[in-house]
Amino acid sequence: MRHLLATLLSCVALASCGVRQAPNEIVVQRFFGTCKAEYGNRTDVENAEGECGIMTTLINRFSAENPDVKVRVSPVAWPGYNQLAAQLASGDPPDLVTMHLSAISDYQSRKLLEPLDKDLRAVGVDPNGFTAASLVSVSKQGQIYGLPIDNWAPLWHINMNYFRQAGLVKDGKPILPRSPEELLAHARQFKQATGKPYFVQALANERAAYTRNLYTLLMQQSVDFFADPQQVKLQSPETKQVVAMFRQLYVEDLTTKNQDYAAATNGFINGAGGVYLVGTWMIGDFDAESRKAGRPLTNGYAVMPWPQLYARDATFIDGHAWVMPVRDRTPRQRDAVFRLLKFLADHDFEWSRTGHLPAYKAVIESERFNALPHRSEIAKIATTGMPLPSAVQRQFPVQDIIGEEMAAAITGHKTVDAALADAEHRVNDLLFHLL
Amino acid sequence: MSAAAGQLSDLGRARAQPARAGAQQSRWSHLLYVAPFLFLYVTLLVYPLFAGFWLSLHKADFFGGSRFVGFENFVRLSNDKVFIGAVGNTFYFILLTVPALAIIGLGLALALNRTTPTAAFLRGVFFSSSVLSVTIVTLLWKVVFAPDGGFLANLFEAFGKQPVAFLSNADLALPAIAITTIWWCIGLPMMLFLAALQQVPRELYEAAALDNAGRWKTLWSVTLPSIRRTFALVIIIEVVLQFQLFGQAYLMTQGGPNNASRPLVLFIFEVGFTRWDVGYAVAAGQILFGLIAIAAMAQYFVARRKEAF
Repeated sequence: MRHLLATLLSCVALASCGVRQAPNEIVVQRFFGTCKAEYGNRTDVENAEGECGIMTTLINRFSAENPDVKVRVSPVAWPGYNQLAAQLASGDPPDLVTMHLSAISDYQSRKLLEPLDKDLRAVGVDPNGFTAASLVSVSKQGQIYGLPIDNWAPLWHINMNYFRQAGLVKDGKPILPRSPEELLAHARQFKQATGKPYFVQALANERAAYTRNLYTLLMQQSVDFFADPQQVKLQSPETKQVVAMFRQLYVEDLTTKNQDYAAATNGFINGAGGVYLVGTWMIGDFDAESRKAGRPLTNGYAVMPWPQLYARDATFIDGHAWVMPVRDRTPRQRDAVFRLLKFLADHDFEWSRTGHLPAYKAVIESERFNALPHRSEIAKIATTGMPLPSAVQRQFPVQDIIGEEMAAAITGHKTVDAALADAEHRVNDLLFHLL
Repeated sequence: MSAAAGQLSDLGRARAQPARAGAQQSRWSHLLYVAPFLFLYVTLLVYPLFAGFWLSLHKADFFGGSRFVGFENFVRLSNDKVFIGAVGNTFYFILLTVPALAIIGLGLALALNRTTPTAAFLRGVFFSSSVLSVTIVTLLWKVVFAPDGGFLANLFEAFGKQPVAFLSNADLALPAIAITTIWWCIGLPMMLFLAALQQVPRELYEAAALDNAGRWKTLWSVTLPSIRRTFALVIIIEVVLQFQLFGQAYLMTQGGPNNASRPLVLFIFEVGFTRWDVGYAVAAGQILFGLIAIAAMAQYFVARRKEAF
């Protein structure tokens, strides 16, 4: 019987232990893709391109410079929160995780993240050096819950060759609309001149992009749709006007249709339309494309923030941060985590080469940042960018619900009124039932 | 007498002498034989079943927070348009896939139930899709359905027709997922039918041949009645499997457009993992469990009644 019990206990013990961490090993879980084939062990951060390349080489270099620390990187499919929730629920979270600034509230409110202030200051990272948008997003109840990586915003990536053909260039700059009516007029003019749709959009299998555009255009109208963080108001005339404008663009074939994110990105590179509505992270790739010969974007790429269509110059922004889930760590692991955070903070300029806006005032004001291509055009987002109120919880599912209902309205599966009523009801039901 | 037969004989004698001293102790020790199974069955199946129902009566998240709310989650579900749509989608998907899987599976099995090398090769070919992961399968079929340069789009254009955006069309998204699923899952019913066909006694076919029965007559009067148990099994297995549609819808359409392809499991996943409304998700899971149980039992009883006749 004792043998049986011992065997059973051994089996249970064996089953319960996963891959155990060494005392000096830390697990870093991140999105930004995988690129092991190209950047596997490379440490030349300066020569790396794109989010994945730069992040991989940064962590590789940290590992090379800190041989006493073992960093195990666990890339996750974007955004990776389902996996993180399961890890947290099972008590086995990683040591550091990439998280959107808009998602921090959810985890912090359930006491799943460690405050970082004291230890960050101890390694020489002063939160006062964060940009205002980053600082407000990682600050919760007077404490810092993340090391900001960047801010990003939806942008207008423009094919200047087509814009020139459509007569929408003046003094080498794209002529952008200043009202919804002008936007429709430009789009029609563009289509007539080039035969191409004005917008390239990821409209299939995509939700977030719809919502970000809506947030931006509501912010430009100073509509406080989250005046109460537990109740959204979407059935306003301003919201209906924005959705109706996107519907009109769709009906008149002034936008690409039925493309998912990958198809829309490839489409823009291959000259499918004039303006690709996507975030800061594509600047580096499109700029590189514009330097190749014989391509639709050759010497013809510009990028701008969302043009001001209403009274206020504003753009919805979000960003990324490193957060540290609550768990037991050895002193060496804790030390390794903060050494890595310090290293990443010191190299934020390298990260800003992705196209994202730096999270540090010193970098955003630096000459070398402003010397990067197209940065002067988008630098104003640092002041015009607006996140959702940080008290709004579940911003990711809220974004999904609004995007799904907007898609239904824009593609004609529902009326605009019905879609906005459903979106409002679904979001408020979600927020009402938060624990 | 073999050892096993001897043991059985001993057991019989033990049953025949219930009043013998020590019999009580002996019966309890027999429990040890089934104890490992019972332990696993209770901890991995029975306990989670009741724990799940108990959780569905709570507002809860993943991280320990919980509040008893009675049947509120079920009332919410009955008023949730997205949930009701997901239930409808799930039944529609079963209707699209299960008969097709059974009929195509049977057809392939009948065609490939021979000993030639070509048949053996084709059996492997038709089963090969089943070993692929859902990621690969959906990636492949997204390329087939893509309206810009996809396989079907090129085919449409070759015939001078406008390409159809299958996955962005509310009427076509779920049928497109059903086609993908049939392609992916056809291997199992085919193999089950093949196994059943090889159990049909040769004498029955010889007798049918002597009676000058044609191919169709033999199929209707000999083959199909002989494999009716397997037919019921395939239907039950496929109903249970297709009720659990998730990966294909998640990767191909995310449940869209306009909730047209969101199945129940995707609804449960979104509510549980993205919104952390775990009690609500588990309540939906209870309903899914009930639906699967009803469907499987209905199939089972219908099959048994037919057998009785």
